[in-house]
Amino acid sequence: MLNYTIKRLALAVVIVSVAMFLLFSMIYLIPGDPAAVALGPRATEAMREALRIKMGLDQPVWVQFWNFFANAWTGDLGREVLSERPVSHVVMEQLPFTLALIAGGITWSVALGIPLGCWAAVKRGSWADRVVGVLSVAVIAVPSFVVAIYALLIFAVTLRWLPAIGAGEPGSAGDQLIHLILPSLAVGLGWVGYIARMVRASMLEVLEAQHIRTARAFGLPDRMITYQYALTIAILPTITLLGVGIGQMLSSAVFAEIVFARPGVGKLVYDAILTRNYPLVTGAVLVTTVLFVLINLVADLLIGALDPRVRSRF
Amino acid sequence: MANSKLRLDLSRRSFLAAAGAFGTVGAALPRMALSQDGTVLTLRSYSDLQVLDPAFRLSLPEDDIIRSIFAPLVIPQAGDIWGWKPIAVDSIEQLDDVTVSFKLKDNIGFTDGYGQMTAEDVKFSIERIADPAMESPYAGDWAALKHVEVKDKLSGLIHLNNKFVPLWTTTLPTPASCILSKKAMMELGDKITTKPVAQSGQYLLADWQPKQKTILRRNPDWAHEPGGFEEIHVIPIEDPATAERGFEAGDLDYTWTSVSSLPRLKENPPAGSVVLEKPSLAYVWLGINQDAEPFTDVRIRRAVQHAIDRQTVVDAAYFGAASVGNGIIAPGLPGSRDSVTYDYDPDKARALLAEAGATDLSVTLDILNQSERLTAAQVIQANLAEVGINCEIKQNDSGTFWTLGSKDGDYFMKLQLVLSRFSMQPDPSWATVWFTPEQVGVWNWERFDNADYKALHDQGLVESDHSKRDEIYKKMQGIMDESGCYVFLTHEVVGAIHRETIAPGLKPNGESLFSEFRPA
Repeated sequence: MLNYTIKRLALAVVIVSVAMFLLFSMIYLIPGDPAAVALGPRATEAMREALRIKMGLDQPVWVQFWNFFANAWTGDLGREVLSERPVSHVVMEQLPFTLALIAGGITWSVALGIPLGCWAAVKRGSWADRVVGVLSVAVIAVPSFVVAIYALLIFAVTLRWLPAIGAGEPGSAGDQLIHLILPSLAVGLGWVGYIARMVRASMLEVLEAQHIRTARAFGLPDRMITYQYALTIAILPTITLLGVGIGQMLSSAVFAEIVFARPGVGKLVYDAILTRNYPLVTGAVLVTTVLFVLINLVADLLIGALDPRVRSRF
Repeated sequence: MANSKLRLDLSRRSFLAAAGAFGTVGAALPRMALSQDGTVLTLRSYSDLQVLDPAFRLSLPEDDIIRSIFAPLVIPQAGDIWGWKPIAVDSIEQLDDVTVSFKLKDNIGFTDGYGQMTAEDVKFSIERIADPAMESPYAGDWAALKHVEVKDKLSGLIHLNNKFVPLWTTTLPTPASCILSKKAMMELGDKITTKPVAQSGQYLLADWQPKQKTILRRNPDWAHEPGGFEEIHVIPIEDPATAERGFEAGDLDYTWTSVSSLPRLKENPPAGSVVLEKPSLAYVWLGINQDAEPFTDVRIRRAVQHAIDRQTVVDAAYFGAASVGNGIIAPGLPGSRDSVTYDYDPDKARALLAEAGATDLSVTLDILNQSERLTAAQVIQANLAEVGINCEIKQNDSGTFWTLGSKDGDYFMKLQLVLSRFSMQPDPSWATVWFTPEQVGVWNWERFDNADYKALHDQGLVESDHSKRDEIYKKMQGIMDESGCYVFLTHEVVGAIHRETIAPGLKPNGESLFSEFRPA
């Protein structure tokens, strides 16, 4: 297990380094002068030049990259261009909102996807199986921003059951939870389909296994066989899928944050790109990349801990 | 007996059940606008605050917050007529062309123990913006300033180098007249970012939740006309459609709307709300770069002017909500025109192209990636195709778009046609300044370079006679027409929606004045 953990950690470091390099290269390929965008139409050329120097844009690109790379490994992500607040501070203010959104999305997808997948597997070939199959494909096919808009129109605008915008009052967990329901549904609904299909397929495989047949032969109750013996094994691929799914949810979060006017890292990056606020773009994307890599690392380690066959390969 | 029954009813289980039921009913009830209790106003701004320094502010929403927390000498007057209203001053008047006297109200204090606002603070705040060493983008607001003379604790004189007509329209009624505490700023030694020091306005910044909410609370020490609400919650929402849904869901009391939503909202307004349509000061035009081939030939530029059906472009892009504009100066201001010197005449366009020997022309049209611009661009594309010009539309995000014509980049000589929109303050000089020769390659992307135009612009800045100014600015737009570099499209309209329970404080062009909102 130690070997396995060390190899996964080393791979994570390589992935983050490559991501940093690609990220830095990409943002410098985007046309646009950050100083002109930041200062607006009334700034003089001297003011724009002063800001370019302040942002380090007058230095060769490789120097800028090295400074960014060296500082980032020490946790210093620089300062935001206009408010001059530390980028790490700005990102960390927004990160909890995005994490809450993703946690909400996972809750929706797991709470609905696993029971539906089990049900479809147990009722294999029945109308229930077919309905779950069609619904799973349908929710996978609908983009999250469409779900977001319809959920908002139905539950917030027409029925007025839930709020349309914001993230709730700070310090009021109940209010924040109510504000989380629709955006997290938008982020997580597509994954209900993925998880239901994955759980169904795994369950069907496991339900045919020798030990399950043996359990049946001993006359154990179906419920116990399904949930205690089959599901604990069939759930393993779902953990890997969720690791990847969190990355997808991070990108869906941008739409949910815009449609529901929620704070969050996705919207922060979107706004920062439009204003060519390079330090903020690089800082925020780096934090989300690290987060994504860490989540996948945890998922890998979890799989390794649960499945000896995975450990033995490393 | 009754007591024991009551005790039985209030078991833990029944209490939880009742609480759950109340919660469900509460959630199911229609949600109400917060302002209905008259204490909290919730409104939308299109961006979050980033800089609260009057000398370095970045956006209109910041203007509103700055004006609310740092008392200005005057603010724009709410209503349908452009004017101003005193806030920090008991009196302010123009003594002659180059002198303005003021007397502060006697009991305006700064928070954080910085004492009373004095004429010395006025001198510091105004001269600070004008000081070239400060490098304020708003130094131009006080470009004519000589100095501020302190007469006594509360009175002083603002001395100008020359007559400056926009002083009363676009300098004093902006945050350029907000007064900061000299002592606090000297101690700070830098510009204010997101943490204000020594506030003095009708409201105080109570809390800022980045990207989520800014809370302004009534200043308990403000002894004059109070703000209309105990608290104002400003929610940053960039997307107008999101804001409209937020209003319809009851989460906002006031928001701007997109122009394209106006017909729908006017026809079917949400219950208990009022839809407003205000004339905008903005101007939208098709610009033609006179230094880029094939538009170096004025006949080809003129051909484009005659090829564009401006009415159809505007109707299609704004769903009939906006009218065709005839220049860069909005109706109601000196210099506003009723017509342009070119008409929609495809035959004339074809004739001009033939005269110039231009055949099989292919050009590009750069636009900002917004739905209204794209629709307008598609109609322009169709119009140009009718006269034999093939036009490719290039959409750009805002960060790229606003640098297209900059002389610092490498695209400005390739830029051919560009669909632009500028907004302005209620003085015609704010519109004309961007097309002067100094602005070529800065904001003058058509690279229009005319000495007569520049001379007229300078003349307009010192001419106070309304009819003479009207004549000057009309003449300037005539020169723009003749250059062939411009096809003026519209001044747009501003849409807004608010609850019946509030009376919004708006400038004539629909821009908000937070401190002027009142319960209805």
